Amino acid sequence: MSISISPSEIPRLSIRERWLPHISRGAGLVIGAGLLLVVALISIRLGTHGISTSDVWNGLFHYDPTSYNQTLVRTMRLPRTVIAVGIGCSMAVAGAVMQGVTRNPLADPSIIGVSSGSSFAIVVVVYYGHRTSAAEYLPFAFLGGVLAAFTVMAIGAAGKGGMSPVRLALAGIVISALLSSWTSALLLLDQSTYELVRYWFAGSVAYRDINLFWQLSPILLVPAVLCLAMGHHLNILGMGEEMAQSLGMRTGRLRLFATSLVVLMTAAAVAIAGPISYIGLAIPHMVRSVVGPDYRWVLPYSMIYGAIFLLLSDILGRIVMRPGEIEVGIVTALFGAPFLIYLARKRSLAG
Amino acid sequence: MSSQPSPIKLTSQKPGHIVFRRRYVAWRINFRVLLFAILGATVLVLLALWAMLLGTANISVVEAVRASFGKGDPDTIFVMQQLRVPRVLCAILVGGCLAMSGAVFQGLVRNPLVSPDIIGIDAGATAAAVFWILGGQSFISLPVAAFLGAMATAVAIYFLSWKGGISPDRLILVGIGVAAALAAVTTFLLIRTPPREARPAQVWTIGSIYGSNWGDIQWLAPVFFMGLLGSVILMWPLRLLQLGDDLTRGLGVPLERTRLLLIVVGCLLAATAVAVAGPIGFVALMTPHIVKMLAGPLSGSVMVLIAVAGGIFLLGADMIAQHALPVSLPVGLLTAAVGGPYFLFLLYRTNDRS
Amino acid sequence: MVATARLAADSVTLGYDEQTIVSDVSLAIPDGKITTIIGPNGCGKSTLLRSLVRLKAPDSGTVILDGQAIQHFPTKEVAKRLGLLAQQATAPGGVTVEDLVMRGRFPHQSFLQPPNQQDRDAVDRALDLTNMTGLRTRPVDQLSGGQRQRAWIAMVLAQETPILLLDEPTTYLDIAHQLQIVELVRHLNETDGRTIVLVLHDINEAIRISHNIVAMKDGQILAQGSPASIITSELIGEIYGAECDVLLAPGQDKPFCIPRGRHAASPESREAAAAVFEVDGLRTSYGKINVLHGLTCDMPAGAITGIVGPNACGKSTLLRSCGRLLRPTEGQVRLAGRDVNRGKHKELSRNLSLMAQSPTMPSGFQVEDLVSLGRAPHQGFFRQWREEDEEAVETALNHCNLCELRRRSIETLSGGQRQRAWFGMTLAQDTPVLLLDEPTTFLDLAAQIEMLDLVREMNQAQQRSVVMVLHDLNLAARYCDYLIVMKDGQIVTSGTPRAVVTEEMLADVFGIEATVMPDPANGMPLVIPHQAIEEMHASAHDSNNG
Repeated sequence: MSISISPSEIPRLSIRERWLPHISRGAGLVIGAGLLLVVALISIRLGTHGISTSDVWNGLFHYDPTSYNQTLVRTMRLPRTVIAVGIGCSMAVAGAVMQGVTRNPLADPSIIGVSSGSSFAIVVVVYYGHRTSAAEYLPFAFLGGVLAAFTVMAIGAAGKGGMSPVRLALAGIVISALLSSWTSALLLLDQSTYELVRYWFAGSVAYRDINLFWQLSPILLVPAVLCLAMGHHLNILGMGEEMAQSLGMRTGRLRLFATSLVVLMTAAAVAIAGPISYIGLAIPHMVRSVVGPDYRWVLPYSMIYGAIFLLLSDILGRIVMRPGEIEVGIVTALFGAPFLIYLARKRSLAG
Repeated sequence: MSSQPSPIKLTSQKPGHIVFRRRYVAWRINFRVLLFAILGATVLVLLALWAMLLGTANISVVEAVRASFGKGDPDTIFVMQQLRVPRVLCAILVGGCLAMSGAVFQGLVRNPLVSPDIIGIDAGATAAAVFWILGGQSFISLPVAAFLGAMATAVAIYFLSWKGGISPDRLILVGIGVAAALAAVTTFLLIRTPPREARPAQVWTIGSIYGSNWGDIQWLAPVFFMGLLGSVILMWPLRLLQLGDDLTRGLGVPLERTRLLLIVVGCLLAATAVAVAGPIGFVALMTPHIVKMLAGPLSGSVMVLIAVAGGIFLLGADMIAQHALPVSLPVGLLTAAVGGPYFLFLLYRTNDRS
Repeated sequence: MVATARLAADSVTLGYDEQTIVSDVSLAIPDGKITTIIGPNGCGKSTLLRSLVRLKAPDSGTVILDGQAIQHFPTKEVAKRLGLLAQQATAPGGVTVEDLVMRGRFPHQSFLQPPNQQDRDAVDRALDLTNMTGLRTRPVDQLSGGQRQRAWIAMVLAQETPILLLDEPTTYLDIAHQLQIVELVRHLNETDGRTIVLVLHDINEAIRISHNIVAMKDGQILAQGSPASIITSELIGEIYGAECDVLLAPGQDKPFCIPRGRHAASPESREAAAAVFEVDGLRTSYGKINVLHGLTCDMPAGAITGIVGPNACGKSTLLRSCGRLLRPTEGQVRLAGRDVNRGKHKELSRNLSLMAQSPTMPSGFQVEDLVSLGRAPHQGFFRQWREEDEEAVETALNHCNLCELRRRSIETLSGGQRQRAWFGMTLAQDTPVLLLDEPTTFLDLAAQIEMLDLVREMNQAQQRSVVMVLHDLNLAARYCDYLIVMKDGQIVTSGTPRAVVTEEMLADVFGIEATVMPDPANGMPLVIPHQAIEEMHASAHDSNNG
């Protein structure tokens, strides 16, 4: 038994060995950013109405308001693309953070009841408040989502067992079921409300109000950037409650902070685009299989590839049923569900 | 008769139990559960009678009972036989089926917070029904379509979660995934249709027993009683399943075969109920909880009690939905409104540090 | 008298809800020494440790760190002085050793600050001390149990705290890895001069390593001092409630404890008359990984057969194959001449009962209900509760001393009681053959002995054949009539304990250097481990025990 080794025997890492993984991962991010740009341009160009590349170019950089195609680029395609990028980024980051905070690889921001809270709020405002324009009722969607999520968190944390991922998920499911049944009740009573809000329910980035997006964008993007800085903390949290605490982390405070950021992002995203599920679940998983479990990399990767994924889903929704469109929320659900099943099958029995 | 009939013996071994031994049978029955079941059945009958009296047409008790059996005023006979009796029976049977199905699934996956609607059976029925309604098909064959949708979903979930065996956790996750995909399909179908045409489908997705008729009951009743018998018998291996896979096998239970049987019974019950009434939530989830709180862990007799309690729950909810509120609402809305808070209360009380 | 103590507890009382776990304990941790807290399950040793690192606030009293109440320090400051390795620490899959160790630097880093040279040096030093440098780029979840534990210790070391607290760092490890960790801890203390606080399960391990032992029972400290001065059979009897002989281990001037049960071992090895299990060319695999490579052996009828071997040697797999829980890919297992994989499940379970290692706890069951479930193979829908059933359940309850506990809900039982209830269920099955998978895990010294005494009684009084997997070599040698020693999916040797348990075998199979001496009380072999022989094997093939 000899534990001591003379210093000369210790293999030191060369500079190259030490930095190579970081460089290759950094390169992946740069490539992702380039890819995002390309996909965004495709998203602007492709659609029911054909637009030439030169019109896209001119529309973006030498805008001529008299050209129909260029107007289309400016008023429809560009906002749509910008919104998709914003939502995709923040939803994927929110999912990654949620998985880190709950230490549950299947956690998703949608479990905390944001979208049902938003739906309920919209329906209530439209039904009782008779507000019919999106700009009027969507801020309420944001408030409703935030309220519902904090209710779920409070219920999940109350009681004897304290906050646990399972309790959080269950509280989320039940609050969602409750709110959506009340939503259905109101919709049943009033046909016109249904007609007004039904497109919002499917989750889409088309025909959305870009001004609302700009108003909410600080709430959408600032938390996302803050989350990027939390990678190291999420790593520590991943080692277990006790280990994290004994390493000097205030886990309760961190959880509350991170979850609040997630709630803000998700509520803003839902208010803008309606419920779009599965990005937060699927993207961090796909990213992890490439860059490993280190959240310092998972978060930025999720951000970029979440945006790419949502753009691609939106493009797909536009082209498969021409001249009609499938809402992006439905596309992601149809893709995301098989992915969840795949994950469930991949996990070992012992897991 | 046998030569030496051993008398019914009240053992001191376990309080509240009767041991009943004859030549071919030897049973130990929980007296308390039996008492609860009798009590429950009485409450159910009284509730059903009361439900038959409620409504716009004022009918007295005697008249109502006579009319149910085809005697008295023809109008009253029509109201009773064609409207009220089927609706009451339907509520009881649907509630019973849902509650039993919930108990079977909760035992199967060893998770008290799971029910057939969470793992996608309801979503399958809904997608099929919405497709059927929007496709302009007849309402008479609607339950068949919904039933087939639910069963097809169940089969899909079973095969998707099969990987050398069925693991409860995998079953839940796969079920949630399938449910989400089907919900997306439903949303897609609804959104593609002009609102006025989509409305009947929309109403169906909430779940109600409004407009149930004898045809539904002819179908529900056999399933209910077969399901009751099946699940009472299956309670036997189901108790052992609670001990984990290894011990279940060690105690001589063919694991996968038992699981398959349980899934078949649970799905048949749930699919039938949903096909008739639409996706009514929370009954399957809550009833087994309440009953187990009153009567202890699962056994054959507790299962009977669960069926009775499910009937009481749904009938009561339907009575409130139909009569107690200013507008008559589908019962599915009410079960969620009652069930949601109750479930949260359960969550608050239970202490799972897992 | 202790000269200096940077960490101390001053009349600390701890509890959960209304229940008091630790009452009014004062304790000073001597600097630069190894202090070990021992005691039976539920005595509050882990709770006390958690309060020492501020994971749990005392209900009354204070924990004092460097002369100040610990709660007055900022969180990170505590983490710079105290490093804890918690029992259930987990790393997500795919984290490399290096990354894990770097996380130990958290208290020294500020928000958004990338790791600097100081951090990297600390990580290098920690890897060095634990001899993990060669494995630094390997993912933690691909390491063997011992290596993984070393990686975690390296993580705590990178925290660079003068005081280390380790909560049962050797659980789940086999004996060679246990010895390695013990050696590592000693090394850290000797060369680095760190103060180390341990909570340990195994009393002999505690004696071997510590300078100072704190013996706890029911939330109070019964004795503390150097092992040689305080470990007596009276003290052990008082703490654990089990009789225990203490002798001086040869070659080490430290006491060695041998717990005694009600039953002395049967010294005369019986002639194996017939075989209850005949294993013939058995090969088994989980998915694509072969676990057993063609085993052939007999297990004697009417005897207690023990299967021993290091972690991941396939001992549980062999047991599970005997119980029809795993289908062999080749070969067969015959129970009394018949292939266990043929015939009805129910038929088999009337002849063979099985106690699983970590069974799922059903909720809402009383002890009596649980024991009654063991009757399942004898019952049918119409015959659920015959006189035989009642008798068998009563007998099982009596044998396992469960009569007073019969109406208790299983959730409220202690670990030892729970294990007895499971055994009661196995007994109620009333089979001539019992298979037990590690029946003594999670049990403390007294409960282990009690459990095995019970097994021995069942074997002697009712001539039942028992096959069990055991972790502890000394217990296996004492309670088994016949031992099967396995390594890497193969049987190395088998025979009576006296023939099998030799110093060569221990070196060969378990990779430890140990003295085997006859137990002065009954002449059975007694293993006194010294150290692991080969200490670094970074090979991948022993890493499948996750």
